[in-house]
Amino acid sequence: MQLSDRVTGAVLIALGGAAAIFGARLPAVPGQDVGPAAFPMLIGGGLALCGGLIAFGIGHSFEVPEEGDDPAPPGSLHLGPLHLGRLRPLIPTALLFFYVLAVERLGFLPTAAVVVLLAAIALGARLRLAIPLAIIAPLCVHLAFYKLLRVPLPAGILPAPW
Amino acid sequence: MMTLPRRTLLGSAAGLIAAPALAQPKWPNRPVQMLCPWAAGGGTDAVARILAVLLEKDLGQPFNVVNRTGGSGVVGHTAIAQAAPDGYTIGTITSEICMLHWQGLTELTYRNYTPLGLMNSDAPGIQVNASAPYQDVKSLADAIKASAPGKLKASGTGQGGIWHLALAGWLNAMGLKADHVRWVPTNGAAPAMQDLVAGGLDFTTCSVPEARAMLDAGRARSLAVMAPARIGAFPNIPTLKEAMGVDYAVGAIRVVAAPAGLPADLVAAIAPALKRAYDTKEYQDFMNSRGFGLVYGDAAGAEKALAAADLSLGNAMKAAGLAKA
Amino acid sequence: MHDLLEAFRLVAAPDVLVAILASAIYGLVVGSLPGLSATMATALLVPVTFWLSPIAAIATIITASAMAIFSGDIPGCLLRIPGTPASAAYTDEAYAMTRKGQAEMALGAGLWFSAIGGIVGTLSLVLMAPLLAEMALSFSTYEYFWLAFLGLMCATLVARSSPIKAIASMLLGLLISCIGMENPAGTPRFTFGLTDLLGGIEPIPALVGVFAVSEVMRAMVTAEPPKLPKRKFGSILANQWMLTKKYQWPMWRGNIIGIIIGVLPGAGADMAAWVSYAMSKRFSKEPEKFGTGHPEGLVEAGASNNASLASGWVPSLLFGIPGDTITAIAIGVLYMKGLNPGPTLFTERASSMYALYIIFIIANIIMIPLGIMMIRAASVILRAPRAGVMPVIILLCAVGSYATGNNLFAVVLVGLFGMLGFVMEKNGYPVAALVLGIVMGSMVEQSFITSLIKSDGDVMPFFERPVSAVLAALTFSALLWPVGVWIWNRIRHPRLPAGGATG
Repeated sequence: MQLSDRVTGAVLIALGGAAAIFGARLPAVPGQDVGPAAFPMLIGGGLALCGGLIAFGIGHSFEVPEEGDDPAPPGSLHLGPLHLGRLRPLIPTALLFFYVLAVERLGFLPTAAVVVLLAAIALGARLRLAIPLAIIAPLCVHLAFYKLLRVPLPAGILPAPW
Repeated sequence: MMTLPRRTLLGSAAGLIAAPALAQPKWPNRPVQMLCPWAAGGGTDAVARILAVLLEKDLGQPFNVVNRTGGSGVVGHTAIAQAAPDGYTIGTITSEICMLHWQGLTELTYRNYTPLGLMNSDAPGIQVNASAPYQDVKSLADAIKASAPGKLKASGTGQGGIWHLALAGWLNAMGLKADHVRWVPTNGAAPAMQDLVAGGLDFTTCSVPEARAMLDAGRARSLAVMAPARIGAFPNIPTLKEAMGVDYAVGAIRVVAAPAGLPADLVAAIAPALKRAYDTKEYQDFMNSRGFGLVYGDAAGAEKALAAADLSLGNAMKAAGLAKA
Repeated sequence: MHDLLEAFRLVAAPDVLVAILASAIYGLVVGSLPGLSATMATALLVPVTFWLSPIAAIATIITASAMAIFSGDIPGCLLRIPGTPASAAYTDEAYAMTRKGQAEMALGAGLWFSAIGGIVGTLSLVLMAPLLAEMALSFSTYEYFWLAFLGLMCATLVARSSPIKAIASMLLGLLISCIGMENPAGTPRFTFGLTDLLGGIEPIPALVGVFAVSEVMRAMVTAEPPKLPKRKFGSILANQWMLTKKYQWPMWRGNIIGIIIGVLPGAGADMAAWVSYAMSKRFSKEPEKFGTGHPEGLVEAGASNNASLASGWVPSLLFGIPGDTITAIAIGVLYMKGLNPGPTLFTERASSMYALYIIFIIANIIMIPLGIMMIRAASVILRAPRAGVMPVIILLCAVGSYATGNNLFAVVLVGLFGMLGFVMEKNGYPVAALVLGIVMGSMVEQSFITSLIKSDGDVMPFFERPVSAVLAALTFSALLWPVGVWIWNRIRHPRLPAGGATG
C-alpha cells in the first residue's frame, strides 16, 4: 500500500496529536514533578512536527530512490488457489491471528499444519510440496520446543505421540 | 456400652464396599503445572524451580514450572486464579497480589486463591553508601528527621513497589509523612544499588540479598533490616527494633497457592508436601546461599500472612497517596 | 597460578565440554532461525541449567548467547530478517551485499569480526575488569540520559532515505515504548484496559513482526527473486584477512566502542551495534557506499556487538548488576549455582572465575568453525523455494514469540507489528529505527525523570557534569548533522526541493 507522503504525514500528525492529548490527561504522581504525561506529550509533539514536515515534502531531497524488489508484472505471479488480490499481504497476519484463536482448542499440531499449508498454497507451492511440509514442519517444531525446551504447547485434539 | 444402631452398621458396611469404587486416583497421578508470574532467572522463578524439583522427588510426578509473564505480574496471577481447582495447576503468588488491586489494576485479591504454604519472606534492609557518615540506622533516622521534606533521596524499586511502601511505612512509624524522603523510581534493585554507589542516592530500602554483591564489595553498608528477627544469612545486621526501637517490619512474601475452591483433601495432600520440601537440606541451603528469608507458614499461616500484608500494604499505599481503590 | 590450572581442569571436565558444544550448536541454530532470538534462546536454557553442574550451567549461557548474537546476522543477511535487535542495525547493508552476490563476504565479515570482537572483549574483561567497573559505577542517570539520546540519534545518521522519516520512525518507536506501566511513575499508559499491555511492548515481538512477518507479507505480493546462480558458496574466510588489513581502524574503533557501551548496565549489544554502524558511516572515507552493500559498516558493528557482550559481564560478575536481559538471566543462574557475583567470585572462587574466562575464549574460537558450518547450512535456504521457507518462518514467529512468556498475546503483537512494518517499509519509513526506539525508549525516559527527581527539577547537572557535557555535545552534533548537511546542500546546489535525489 503505497500512500503519498501527504497521507502518511497526516497520519503522523493525527497520531502525534492524539498521543499528546491523551498523554496530557495522565495524572501526576506524588513525589515526581515531571509526571507520566511529559514523555507522551513530547513525543506526540515531535511526531506531529515530523508529520507536518513530511506532508509538506521538506527533507524530501535526501531521499535515495528505494530499490525494493521489482513488483510482479501482472499475470506472472505463480498464484495458488488463494488469490485474493489486494488482500494477499494480510494473509500472514490472518494466519497468526488464526493461530492465537485456534491453538488452545485444536492443539498445536493441527493448527500449525493448517497455518503452514495455507501459507504455502498462498505463496504458490504445489500440493506435493505443501502437504508434506504441513505435516513435517509442525512435528519438528513441536519436538524441538516441547521436548527439548519444555515449552508447554497445547495438546488439543491431536496430541503428539511423545 | 452402646450397641451401634443397625442403620449405622449397614451404612458403614455400604461405605466400606463403595469406597474403592469412589476412591479417586491418588493426587498427583499426572504432571502438575506450577505457574510463575515472573521471568525466568528471577528470585521468584528460582524459588519455584527448586520447589518443583523437591516436590517431584517427593511425590513422583513431574512439576513443571511455566513462566507466565506480563502485565507486571497480573497475567500470571490471573492465570493461577482462573485455572481449574483440581490440584494440577498451582503457582507461586507474591506480595504484588496484595498491592495491585489497591491501584485498581486488577480485581484479584488474595481471596481468589487457596494458599497452600508460605515459603519465603524477604525483608527490606536499609543500605547506605560505604562512604556515608551514618554508622547506624539511628543516625540516619535523625538525619532524615532533621532534613527538609523531599531533600533526601531513596530508591530500591519502581514507584509504588514494595520497597517504596516499606519506606513509606517506616517514615510513618517514625511519625513523619510518607513522602518526607523523595522516592527515585528504578527498574528493580540493581540499578538502585548502582546509583547508591555512584553517589546519586542517600539510601536504599531494597532487600539485603538484592544488595548483597555491593555489600560484599564493600561499596555499601546495610544498617538495619525491617524484619521481626535477624536474617540467618546476614547475622550482623540488626533489626529496626534492636537498632532504634521502632517496631516496624514488612516482608515480600512468596506463597504457593492454588485457585480458590480447592477441595480440602487436596489441600491436605499438597500443604504437607510443601512443608517437607521446606525442611529439606537442599531448600535450606539454597535459600541461605542466596540470602532469601527462610520463613514458613502452613496453609492457614499463609492465608494470615497474605491478609496481614494486604492490610499493611494497603495502608502504606494510602499514606503514600498511591491507592485508588 | 594454582587457580588458573584448577580452572583448566574444571573446564576440561567432560560435562562442561559437552555443554559448551551442545549449547554452541543450540545458540547458532536458534539465533539463525527467523522468529527466534538470542534472548529467547537464553531464557529457554534456564530450566535446563537446573540439572547441570555450576560450571557447565554457566558455560551453556555464555556459549549460547555469544553464538546467537552472531548467528542473528545470518537470516538478516540472507533473508533480510535479523535474528536480534543488534543485527537490525546493519541488516539492510548485509542483504544488499547478498543481492550483489557477495553473501559469503558479508557473512564471513560478520563471523570473523564477531569472533575478534568477542575475544578482544574477553581480554578487556580479564585485564581491565576493575577499571571498567569503576567507570561503569561512575555513570549516573545524567550520563545515561545523554548516552541513550545519542544512541537514538544514530538512527538519523544511518538513514539512507529521508532522515525526517527515520526520526519519525524512531519517535513512533518511542511512543510504543510508552505503553504500559513500566514507567517511572508506575502509571498505566495507553493500555486501553488490556491487562496484557500493562507490562508494555517487548522489543522481540516487535522485531519479529516488523522484519520477519512483513517480509513474508512482501513475499505475497512480489515475484520470487531470481535464484542466485547455483554455485558452491566460496570460502567464507577468504577475504577476511584483506578486510582486516583494510579496515583496521574501524575494527578497533568498533571493539572499543563495544567494550565501553557493553560495560554500562542497561546499554547492550543493540546500542553498540547501532552506534558503531553510525560511527562507521560518519568517519568512513566512502560514506556514500553505505547501504549499497559495503562491508565497512559490517566490520565495525559486528565487532562491536560481540565485544559489548563480553564486557557486559563486567558489572554482572563484579556487582551482580545486569547489563541486559541476557546477563540478567545469567546472573540468576550464577546465584542458583552458588557462584554469587561479587568480590567473593574473584577471591574465594577465583578458579571458577578463570574457568569462565576460559569458556569465553573457547566460545569465540569455536564460533569460527561452527559458524562456517552454520553459514553453509543456512545458504541452502537461498536455493530453497520461497513457498517452502516462508510458511515455516510464520510458524516459527508464532511459536518463538509465545515461548518466552507463554503468552499468546505476544503472537497477536507479532501479527500487528507485521502489518505496521509492511506499511512503513512501503512508504520509506525505516523499520530498524522503529525497533531502536522501542528498545531505547524506557532508558531515555527513566534516566530523564529520575535525574530530574534527584536534582529537584534542576536541569543544570545535565550539562555541568563533565562526562554529561561531553556526551551532550556529541548528541547535539549528531542531531544537527543532517540539518547542517541540508543547509550546506541548499547553499551549494540551489534548486527545487521536490523529488529527485541529491546531486
